[in-house]
Parts: sequence; structure tokens; C-alpha cells
Amino acid sequence: MALFELPEWAALAPTFVLAATSLALLVIDSIDPDSTNRPMLAGTATTGALLALAVTGWYLVAGVGDPNGRGIVSLFGTAQVDGTVFGGQLVVDQMSLLFTFIFASVTAMVTVASYDYLRGHSYQAEYYSLVMLAATGMSLMASAASLATVFVSFELLSLSSYALVAFLKKNRGSVEAGLKYFLIGALSSAVFVYGISLVYAVTGSLQLAAVAQAAAGTELVGVLGLGVILVLGGIAFKTAVVPFHFWAPEAYEGAPAPISAFLSSASKAAGFVVAFRVFTLAFPFETFLDLGVDWVLAVQILAVVTMTLGNFAAATQTEVKRMLAYSSVGHAGYALIGLAAITGSNSEIVLGAGMMHLVVYGFMNTGAFLFVALVEYWDVGRTFEDYNGLATRAPVASLAMTVFMFSLAGLPPFGGFASKYILFMGAVNAGFWWLAAVGAVNSALSLYYYSRVVKALWFEDPSDDVGKVGIANQPVGLYAAILFAAVATVALLPAFGPVSDTAVSAASSLLP
Amino acid sequence: MAPPVEYYLFLSAAVFCIGLFGILTRRNALMFLMSVELMLNAANINFIAFSFHHGNLTGQVFSLFTMALAAAEVAVGIGIILVLYRNFQDMDVTKPATMRW
Repeated sequence: MALFELPEWAALAPTFVLAATSLALLVIDSIDPDSTNRPMLAGTATTGALLALAVTGWYLVAGVGDPNGRGIVSLFGTAQVDGTVFGGQLVVDQMSLLFTFIFASVTAMVTVASYDYLRGHSYQAEYYSLVMLAATGMSLMASAASLATVFVSFELLSLSSYALVAFLKKNRGSVEAGLKYFLIGALSSAVFVYGISLVYAVTGSLQLAAVAQAAAGTELVGVLGLGVILVLGGIAFKTAVVPFHFWAPEAYEGAPAPISAFLSSASKAAGFVVAFRVFTLAFPFETFLDLGVDWVLAVQILAVVTMTLGNFAAATQTEVKRMLAYSSVGHAGYALIGLAAITGSNSEIVLGAGMMHLVVYGFMNTGAFLFVALVEYWDVGRTFEDYNGLATRAPVASLAMTVFMFSLAGLPPFGGFASKYILFMGAVNAGFWWLAAVGAVNSALSLYYYSRVVKALWFEDPSDDVGKVGIANQPVGLYAAILFAAVATVALLPAFGPVSDTAVSAASSLLP
Repeated sequence: MAPPVEYYLFLSAAVFCIGLFGILTRRNALMFLMSVELMLNAANINFIAFSFHHGNLTGQVFSLFTMALAAAEVAVGIGIILVLYRNFQDMDVTKPATMRW
């Protein structure tokens, strides 16, 4: 029994906390423009992220957004089609809270790790402020219930991340990465908004459920189908799915490593939360199959191509960061199975499994990129050979990296095993055994290149560079973030029950 | 009497394709930005025409959002092009190729 009831808008509190942190950092910056007070800046950002994480966790436990608990909260007006009233522009349900949980955790790890990584860089306040703005955009994407809010929050995330990727202004790699990310991002956001305009042209509405209602029985199937494909293209950019994945290896390689971690885990999950919500609420597959717009087939093709191309490209890389970039393309393919196998009878399990995989992925992939950040901090080198024998100098971090690699490959006893197992089993039970088979073959292939890192760390003789790694030079922030990610990756296996319950319940409230 | 609404679809598709063509053929980063603007404005044509057609204001309001976002995107884009020019002494988008595609 609650002592007092919070107002409805308080359901968005995690988003408000992230936005307020970003503005607070700008205020600090305006008072002291050249501040290099790293503890204060990183501390403010981390406090904000942890506060948002705490509020999200509290809401999840208290049953906010749970149809059987406190109910789904719909905010900012209503939409009407033919007398039927639909929800507002934003919605807070279990899916939005679950994904906000991922975003806040990843943001906290990234800001803690940046404390060491940004040593000696200028414009630190702006950096943290942009990170928090991007996190605000992500949590808004998770809550967006209208194509208008989807697009605006999508751009809030995109614009902040372009600037973050090009943050190292005097580093040619970073600038080049920022340019390529911006060029492809601008193109795909234009494609995305044109797709939205075609969907609006046919349905006359932007609210997701209202779009589905108005689309049923329309005669303008061609225009609608083109709109759906273009919207899928825009989302494919954000999730680094194959036809729009070209930016990913460049941006992840050139960007500061904590930003690579941020983009490849949190930003990808943000793209997927939009995909899950838009394609289940606005474009429900039953209605669209009747119309002849078979987007499920398109998603299935994308899933298979993305998994295969991502993993094969990762296997041929010589640089660890670039290998991780391609592996993250491959993981986008796994998560797409959540949508690709949705036509089966167990659709809430499959969709929920896609969400679970993104939760686990948020920790293991962030950890892996932060290990790369640690190695860059030590100035060791980028290729597999440069990593030789690192375990002799940094056994704890190497152990954590081993956990990330085996978890990404999907080996027990780590969180990555559970999510992949449920995902592939769900696909098999839905009748898409071939999707699961492609996924399993790709996972087996991925074990090859992940274990190359582990072999280099533990079994190869140390190279000369590794000798430079001093015991005295132990960055506390990077270590803390990596260890937190490693503990979470391991702990997610015994703690998988609550995650999967929440994910399946979130998925079932999206499906009719 | 207003022209049939399909005409606006053709107009916007034409503008969109001109923008796409520009992106695929131009090498100057600024021309690239202008082409993206064309594509965004193609969407605006649709929004405004169909807002009138459907008799609601949703599309018109959204087109205001699109314009504001286009401006923000150009601001960030020009910033990135500026650091590109400082680092590579060129605005050719094919020049920065230290990493392979």
C-alpha cells in the first residue's frame, strides 16, 4: 500500500533524470568552461546514470507498466481514428523500463570508464553532456508510442552520437569515423522520415496503434509497403543490420573506445526497441500479411544475411576492435530473430528472447569494448598479436575479457548462453528451425574468432609492448567498469529468471 | 479546386530521387548535405499534402519538427565537415580512407 501516489508523468522519471544530468553538466561547463575536474564531471554523469538506473529498477519491481501491476502508463494526449481512442505520444510499459535499464547501466559503465580514458582531453563537460543527451534519446525511443516521437528521439540520439564519434578532433581516424557515421546516418534518417511520410499518407495518423487500425483494408498497398520498407531501412541503420551496416566497423574503430562500447550496445538496443514496438503495434503482421505487405519475410532475410556476413567478416579481421565491430553486426542478426520468428504460436517467447539477448549483450559487449579501451589506454596496439601475453601483466582484466568472449560466443556458464539458447529454442518451436540452424552455425564460427583473443591473452608469449603495461598504471575507473560488466555477465545466468519473466511479459503486452 | 493528391506523391518521389541521386554521385561534403535536405523536404511535401487530404494537422506539425531537425542535422554536419577540412585539407568525402570499408 503506497503512502502517496505519484503523478502519471513521474513514470518517465528515468528519462527526466538523464536529461537533467545533461543540462547540469552544461551548467557546470558554462560556469567553468575549461574544467578538467575529471572527478566532478565523471561523478555527475555517473550519479545521474545510476539514479536513472535505480529509479528504473524500482519501477520494474513496483510493477509500473505491468498490465497486472500498476498498468501501462500512456502520456501526452490521445489519438482518434473513426471514434476509437488510442494512447498518447509516449508510453511507459515493461519493455520501455527493461530497455531503459540497459541504457542506464551501459551509460553508467561508459561514464565511469571515460574518467580514465579522457585524461588530458579538453571539452570533457561537453563529452559527458552529449553522452547523457544520447541516453535521454535512447530512453525516449524506448517509450515512443508515435512515429513523431520515434523520429525526434531517434534524431536526438543520432545527432549526439555523430558528435561523440568525431570527439577526438585532431585524430584523423576519429574524424573519418564521424564523417562516415554522419553521412550514412543523415541518408538513413532521410529515408526513415520519408517512410514515415508515406505511412502517414496512407493512414492519416502517426500514433502506432492508430496506424495499424487505419492501415487495415487500405487500397494504397504499394505506397504503404514502400513506407514500411523505408522505415525498416531507417531502423536497420541504427541497429547496424546488413544493408546499412557499413558505418559500423568504421565508426566503432575510429571512435573513442568507450563511445564504441556505448554505440554498439546501447544505441543498437535503442534501435531494436523501436523496431519491436513499431513492427508489433503499428505494423502487426496479421493485418499486413492480409494486405500483402510481408515485412516478416524481409526481416527473416535480413536476419540470416546479417548473422552470416557479420560473423564471416569478423573471422577475417586482424584488429580486435574491428573484430568486435563485426561481431556486433552479427549479434544484431541474432536479435532480429525475435522479430523474424514472430509468426509462430509462441511469439511472446521469441520476442521476449530477443529482448533478453539485448539485455545480456548490453553488459558483455560493453565490457569487451571497455577492455579494448583499457588496452588503448596502455597504448599496447590494436591487433591480435599485440594482445599476446597481456594476461601476465593484467590477469584480472584478461579474466574479465575471457568471460566476455565466451559469453558472446554463447558458451555456458555465462549469461550469453541462456539468452541464445532461449532465442534459438524459441525459433525452433515457432517452426523456423532454419533460422535457429543458421544462428547455431554462426555461433560455432564465432567461437573461432573469440577464442583467438583468449589464446592471445593467455597462451602466447608476451610481446615487447606488453612489457610497458606497468603495475603502477592501473586506471581505477576502467577496471571498475570492466569488473562490473564481468560480474553482471556471470550473474545474469543464475538471475535469468526475473529478466526472462519481465521480457516475456513485456513482449506479450505488445502482441494482440 | 485542389489538384489530386497523387500528384504530390509524384512530386515528392521526384524530389526524393533527385536527393538520392545527388548523394550517390557528389563527392563534395556540402553538396551531400544539400542532397539530404532535398530528401527531407520530399517528406515534408508528403506530410503537408496529406495533412490537407486527411483533414488533420498531424502532418503539418510533423513537418515543422522535420525542418527543425534538418537544421540541427546541418549544424552538426557542418561541424564535422569543418574538422574534416582541418584534418584532411579537403571536403571530398572519398578522401578520408585510412580505414578500409
